[in-house]
Amino acid sequence: MTRFHTAGPTQPTSSSGLSRRGLLGAVGAGLATATLAACGSGDSGGSGGGKEIVFMNQSRGQAATLKKLAQQYTKQTGVKIKIDDVGPADFLTKLQSSSQARNMPDIYSVVDGHSMAPYYKAGWAMNLTDQLKGSWGDTFRPATLKTTTFGADNPQHVKPGTYSAHWETPALGVFVNAAMYKGAGLNPDQAPATMSEFIDQLRKIKKTGKGPFWFATSLSNQLIQSYGSNYMSDEELNATFVGKNSWKSEGWRKTLQLVVDLRDAGVIYNGSIPNGNGDNPTVEKAFFNTQGVAAIFDGTSAVGVARATAPDFTDFRSFPLPKADDGTQTPRLVGGAAKGAAVNPRSKNADKALKFLKWLTAPDQQQAWAEGVPLIPSAQAVSSKTIPQQLTGIAAKISDIQLVQNQILEQVNTALQKGTQALVLKERSVDQVLGDLDAAQKSA
Amino acid sequence: MRRRSRVLAAWLFLAPALAMIALFTVVPFVQGILLSFQSWDGVSLDSPFVGLDNYRYVLDDTQFWGSMKNAVLYGVVGLIVANAVSMVMALAVHRARRGSAFFRTVYYLPGVFSTVVVGVMFSWFLDPNIGIVNQMLKTVGLDGLQHNWLGDPKTAVIAVAAVFVWYHWGFGFILFLAGRQDVPKELYEASSLDGARGWSQFRYVTWPGMSHVTGIVSVLTLLSGLQIFGTVQVLTNGGPAGHTEVPTLHIYQQAFQYSEYGRAAAMSVIFGLCLVALACVQLWVSRRLGGSTDSRTEKGR
Repeated sequence: MTRFHTAGPTQPTSSSGLSRRGLLGAVGAGLATATLAACGSGDSGGSGGGKEIVFMNQSRGQAATLKKLAQQYTKQTGVKIKIDDVGPADFLTKLQSSSQARNMPDIYSVVDGHSMAPYYKAGWAMNLTDQLKGSWGDTFRPATLKTTTFGADNPQHVKPGTYSAHWETPALGVFVNAAMYKGAGLNPDQAPATMSEFIDQLRKIKKTGKGPFWFATSLSNQLIQSYGSNYMSDEELNATFVGKNSWKSEGWRKTLQLVVDLRDAGVIYNGSIPNGNGDNPTVEKAFFNTQGVAAIFDGTSAVGVARATAPDFTDFRSFPLPKADDGTQTPRLVGGAAKGAAVNPRSKNADKALKFLKWLTAPDQQQAWAEGVPLIPSAQAVSSKTIPQQLTGIAAKISDIQLVQNQILEQVNTALQKGTQALVLKERSVDQVLGDLDAAQKSA
Repeated sequence: MRRRSRVLAAWLFLAPALAMIALFTVVPFVQGILLSFQSWDGVSLDSPFVGLDNYRYVLDDTQFWGSMKNAVLYGVVGLIVANAVSMVMALAVHRARRGSAFFRTVYYLPGVFSTVVVGVMFSWFLDPNIGIVNQMLKTVGLDGLQHNWLGDPKTAVIAVAAVFVWYHWGFGFILFLAGRQDVPKELYEASSLDGARGWSQFRYVTWPGMSHVTGIVSVLTLLSGLQIFGTVQVLTNGGPAGHTEVPTLHIYQQAFQYSEYGRAAAMSVIFGLCLVALACVQLWVSRRLGGSTDSRTEKGR
């Protein structure tokens, strides 16, 4: 069934003249038609008329750098770029409204694969697979390409291919407050070799009266996925995410045990993990602003947050999540791709937008992204000197990012977040949580 | 002929409003019901009919039905606590000889804020480490009462309910105040002559005189409590471990996180029917307890 219908021809009026009801009906229908006509553009193409490219931008933190680069591009090529800074809160709503009004921008930011999949399925993003097979694709880190490509087994049923190009390769790891570490007699420049060593460090910090470790409920899936790489290969992780392998396996059992170990060691700040819409900002505030907690699990984008909200606090370090004592694999980081964009193939400016996207992701421009935001660029050729000192610990292992093509399904993600909280609260056992995850995977 | 033209003119004047109501209320309502029989990801141009599949899914969804328990709790808290607080405040302000304008403004103020602002504000107030509530307890020497209000399942539900009461009392307050001012002064003079004071005056004059307002406020507060969303989403997002989850949040997740708009629509239809049923029960009880909502005007005729 098609959601959009064209109005049928209006019925001819009676030859005996317009009755009162008929007149009222006609007035009502006229008003409704006029209103509906005003609401829809009736054009399935892009919003640009050919002279300028419209870019719908999701990121607040990267808006200034994007604007600067767009101005530079206009100077170089004469092509005007109009940036529609929607912001993270309204981005998906506005993108959805634009798709329903068939008035999509020429180029637009992309967020996670699950949220973007409906747009790719509906043909609102250019398939870049062939474009990326050439020299353009060679400039990217393999993890960036792998994690943004929809494989044949993707649970979202998107036609296999790559629909977006990215200029950021994020990764998640541990950030520690150097002064608090030193205050507890620990060396912040020496990353703990194993998880048990890390937990011992956190115990020592707790004795100094400081909050030891915290992570947001919304990042618990990344924490779990990151730690799961100690016990499972990327293929095994991917097989679980697409429903081929059960969550009730020894690997996931050992992985979730991490939450129990952290809980039993008493090193989770406040004895609970924050929830609510702003859970990660709460964690970041406790680390960067009020400095009440010594260590947090967060993404590399946190450094940008720190620069914006606590510019005076720079004395912190980062390192990958420590490896499991009984791990059977070399642990790999969770990450791969963050900020990037997709091109609307139905736009009259599709070719121009694609050229702009290629230019935005070229190593020269990625240097500007890295310095301006800051971030870890997705281009292999960008100098590591541009990476902020606080990120060097994680950046050193950036080549060890998990090459997992599919993400955890949103339904399973919700169950995992709830399960992690239940483990911290001692309300459910590891096996019960794994059963919940299997049930969520099946019902999705 | 003249009458006909006046009727026509009246319909023409009504036409814009009717068109707007049809466009923004009737059409979305009907589309919502239709959507509950379809599968749609929110973007696709195709939305195939799936029969009763969405309803079958909802009937088996234990989390959705489990979250109803919290909705009922918030509804009851809204109905009893929020209305009691609002009425007490309204009666107090009505009796106040000085500063009634100030208190009218202050008590109504919470309802002016957006739910998101209220949620963010209270998440700061209730923060276990730097929140004003725990800091105040510490300042007055009650360190032992400091608590992780939103992180502990035992207090999270109460904290959310308290925020809901604070946010909604202004609405009930202003209506109760108007209702109280509407009760004829002569009734109080007559009851005084009969020896009625305090409680008996409230029981036999104030309460029946305000029954029409009480009925309306009760239904609206009950529905607000059952439909609570913004406060929960910002404060706890249903956590910890689902202890504060409500049906509206579950519906939101289905639509905007899982892109399952058909299932979300089916949940909305079922939840809507539950609300209508509860509102009918509430109206019936109100009428039984306080007489007809129009009793005052009926008797006055």
